[in-house]
Amino acid sequence: MADEVIPQTHEDAPAQPPDAGLSRESRALAIGIAGWLLPGLGHALQRMWGRAVIVSLTVGLLVVAGAMMRGNVFSANATDAFDTLGYVADLGTGSFYLAARALERDGADVSHADGDYGTRFLATAGVLNLLAALHAYEAARGRKA
Amino acid sequence: MAGSEFALTHFQALLLFAAIISLAFGFLGRRRPKDRIKYILWSFFLFLAVGIGIAWAMYPFSR
Repeated sequence: MADEVIPQTHEDAPAQPPDAGLSRESRALAIGIAGWLLPGLGHALQRMWGRAVIVSLTVGLLVVAGAMMRGNVFSANATDAFDTLGYVADLGTGSFYLAARALERDGADVSHADGDYGTRFLATAGVLNLLAALHAYEAARGRKA
Repeated sequence: MAGSEFALTHFQALLLFAAIISLAFGFLGRRRPKDRIKYILWSFFLFLAVGIGIAWAMYPFSR
């Protein structure tokens, strides 16, 4: 979108003091973590408003749809490797993971196709948010925009 | 969530998934609005084409 700031690449950046790189790296890391915790925040902190809104909206929609379809929201007490992977994917939504648990009061129902799709929607929301957080981190480092 | 559940058909679920993911990919992957729209439409079309293609490929084994 036209309202977004175009970060400089390393090649274009002016000469910086020795600790500037570390400072920039720390800031980028903080932005990446913020983007993971609250979907869209990583881009919002860099004034990439269009991307921030879309990331927040798409991750939120996937979480709400997945929970309403009674998909499986995996918990920490996983019984096998697939449950652990599912938990990691679900955790990718950051704070929205708690929203998914709150929305799904009656628990998962994967005996129907809807519930199975819901599980995939929730996992996709997590992976998509991790991708967006990584994108925000890279943008903060000046690697891509 | 009794009473507020989604009850989607397979195709509706595919449409919803494809639309949401294509939108996110378009905004994350491209910067200019025109490029984004092209990418979103192309990605959406490919999701549907691949999904329906796989569904037809599996059809002979469904019974």
